[in-house]
Amino acid sequence: MYTLTIVSFGEQREDATPEARGSIVMRGITKAYGATIANDSVDFELRPGEIHALLGENGAGKTTLMNILFGLVAQDEGEIVIGGEPVRFASPHDALARGIGMVHQQFMLVQNFTVAENVVLGAISKWNMAFRRAEVERGVQETAERYGLAVVAGQRIRELPVDAQQRVEILKLLYRGATILILDEPTSFLGPAQVDRLFGTLKELRDTGHSIVIVTHKLREVMAVADRVTVLKKGRNVVTAERGSFDERMLAVAMTGRDLLALPPRTKAHLDEAALFRVRDLVVHGARALHAVHGVSFDIHAGEILGIAGVEGNGQRELVDSIAGIIKVESGTVVLDGQELTGVSPQRLHAAGVSIIPEDRRVWGLVLDMTVAENLALAQIPGGDFSQRGILRWRDVRMRARELLELYDVRPADPDVPVISLSGGNQQKVVLARELARDPKLLIAAHPTHGLDVGATEYVHRRLLEVRESGSAVMLVSHDLDELLKLSDRVLVLFRGRVRYEAPVSELSMDEMAMAMAGTGGGAADAELAHVGAGGDPAT
Amino acid sequence: MDPADARPLDEPKPRPLTAVGLLARGIAAPSRDRLRSVGWTVISAAATAGVVAAILALLGANPATAFRALVSGALGNEFNFGQTVMITTLLALTGLAAAIPFSARLWNVGGEGQMYFGAFCAAGLGLTLPASLPHWFFAPLVLVLSALGGAVWGLIPGALKALINANEVIVSLMSVFAAILLADYAITVIWPQGIAPQTQDAPANTLLPNIWSGTLVTAGAPVALFCVLVAWVIMARTRLGFEIRAVGLNPFASRLNGMRVGRIAVYAFMLGGAFAGAAGAIAVVGIYGNLPTDFSGNFGFLGIAVALLARLSPLWILPSAFFFAILRVGSNGLQVATGLSPSVGEIIVATFVILLLAFRVIRLRYAEAAQ
Repeated sequence: MYTLTIVSFGEQREDATPEARGSIVMRGITKAYGATIANDSVDFELRPGEIHALLGENGAGKTTLMNILFGLVAQDEGEIVIGGEPVRFASPHDALARGIGMVHQQFMLVQNFTVAENVVLGAISKWNMAFRRAEVERGVQETAERYGLAVVAGQRIRELPVDAQQRVEILKLLYRGATILILDEPTSFLGPAQVDRLFGTLKELRDTGHSIVIVTHKLREVMAVADRVTVLKKGRNVVTAERGSFDERMLAVAMTGRDLLALPPRTKAHLDEAALFRVRDLVVHGARALHAVHGVSFDIHAGEILGIAGVEGNGQRELVDSIAGIIKVESGTVVLDGQELTGVSPQRLHAAGVSIIPEDRRVWGLVLDMTVAENLALAQIPGGDFSQRGILRWRDVRMRARELLELYDVRPADPDVPVISLSGGNQQKVVLARELARDPKLLIAAHPTHGLDVGATEYVHRRLLEVRESGSAVMLVSHDLDELLKLSDRVLVLFRGRVRYEAPVSELSMDEMAMAMAGTGGGAADAELAHVGAGGDPAT
Repeated sequence: MDPADARPLDEPKPRPLTAVGLLARGIAAPSRDRLRSVGWTVISAAATAGVVAAILALLGANPATAFRALVSGALGNEFNFGQTVMITTLLALTGLAAAIPFSARLWNVGGEGQMYFGAFCAAGLGLTLPASLPHWFFAPLVLVLSALGGAVWGLIPGALKALINANEVIVSLMSVFAAILLADYAITVIWPQGIAPQTQDAPANTLLPNIWSGTLVTAGAPVALFCVLVAWVIMARTRLGFEIRAVGLNPFASRLNGMRVGRIAVYAFMLGGAFAGAAGAIAVVGIYGNLPTDFSGNFGFLGIAVALLARLSPLWILPSAFFFAILRVGSNGLQVATGLSPSVGEIIVATFVILLLAFRVIRLRYAEAAQ
């Protein structure tokens, strides 16, 4: 007779007290990928019952270190000691057997399965899965409730918003008896309210004896939730500090090796003049929701940055895509500088002075297998530049590329390398160079710093402000509230395809904004419903 | 859990190895990798030769004898060499017919049909236009118009793709059968010669002159050479070629950057069709002197293999076509020397194609693992 093995498995684990398990100590961890040293003799200690932030820029080696702890990657040198006993994990299964679990940035959930099915997948037999569904579901629901994770075991993953999917990932680990949770950039796809809620959950888990590592590059998160922080830079330890002995500034310096530069002063936007860019009653159908954008109107003045905030999947993508001429506008108007541009093709947008920094530079921004020079000319060549009676003048293309590479500080400054061989930050600089060099009247920037390290992010911010100073209108879409508040003159919040809140940054109320992002006028129950409706898929 | 999913967001994820991705990746091999890729081609060709030798041995022939027979059958005397040259001519053109749409990630498997339609045009034009036209004008006119005919035949899948997103593989394949039936109709009903299954002979004014006495080599060969150069210039030096490559490598970024993806699809298909049409015309006015049934020898389809072996690069099409022509012509000598059935030649060609593709997959897997 089968018993639901996993339940007894979970109970078995519970009688081992955190103290008995002891700390996890990683000592002298070194890992090289070819000539790149991802981890250079890194030390890391995770104490029982703490939330430990692993902070660093992109490429600092955070994820590599955690992949080693999780058994995904084998270290070249160094040792891992758990409770005084050296261990070596050949696979995540080994790590999980020691109670270590990891939630990756990209969730690994089967979209068409229910929460319960995802949680037990691989942990129980197919027999139980097929014939003891009710029992399995109840077990999962109980586990969720025990840990205070708000999920409904019978719901399908694809119906869930991102934050709920994340809770399922965490539940998956807890169900398998994990007591040590590693979360890789857990807030990338979450809105502020969802982040608060996640941190609440993490603190509760900590208080019940779990140890948690959050891998992040956001200082605010470290300040909000971490008991201790370890900062990595270029694969080496910089500092490990206890709560109380670190502040945001010190962490920023540790992480980047220098003080962050203040942004240049900004002149006033030309608010007294007529708006340069006007969108009126825009309606766009999405792939899933019938009305992805439901009657959105806004103005952007010359020399103004309008920030568009919102939890992922509330119509931001459709808004950008419809203005960019990629998807159809059902109704409404889009006017730039007196010229109607509703639903026109990308080439006409270029001619009218619109530049776009697309959300995913690797899909929409760049032809990765082409050279840097070819990518820099990608929009100009179809526009007829660089060619005479259809024959291209490659010499001019490459000369122009050299100029732009220097101007935008792309490294390496070689026009002939394939763009795929550049780092993410330099790839984004190539996109910026191409889009900004044509002096746009309107710049649409969708998540322009997504996945970039602090240095590259700062660079992008400066460039965006320069565009603003030059008297262009900028529409900035981002999930990163800090970025929006730092750059925008005015912010509006999209919720389910409608404008829920709009205010100049100087008069903005964070509370109202957060509520607008969650779609609430008050009441938590409302928020819950709103989340479900606003479900977006992080992978697409 | 898949380790690949644990990569940081910033690092490009390897794209899945589909047939599409596979070919697209071959389109623009970065120049610094070119040497290594030539090395790979040599290794895979050698290993392929080994497998073919094993097959020959299994069939009871001495592989060394067979290889010698193959090569001398194709190149051993002037006449055979001339035949190899003319087949290279046809294969180079049908190779281009595949390579150019493939570069735009459009799978033109209808080169055979475009070639048939070009041949139909060549035969028909020769028999219907006034025979009094001067030779210097008439022969080139027939070639050009037949190439245009091929382009029209290629336009069908291209335009349907652009307008209603019809699957170009299916449409182009179906257009092959339509073209074959049309040619059969011409042979049996419109311009029948009588007993022989072929059309009436094309007027002498349309025939391409012989340029190498003692062989069958006609002016069609330099025409194909010229076409290869034109294709190379188009792909490497023109706006259209750039756009074809860009759309093939990333249609999304191409579209957002102002390329008219549908229009480019139509142009790529028409260009490919034009080259296949020229192949058909050269077969009629440069080789047979009329349009016989089954004149194509499946060269339209074999062009796909030619293009793949050449990795869609127009200049590599020539050696690639020459290679397949040697196999084709040489397999006639195979029978004499080894007593094997002539269809063994077909088997060898097929084996080469399959193995070369298999090596391509292995190579890409290897490259991905090295990343």
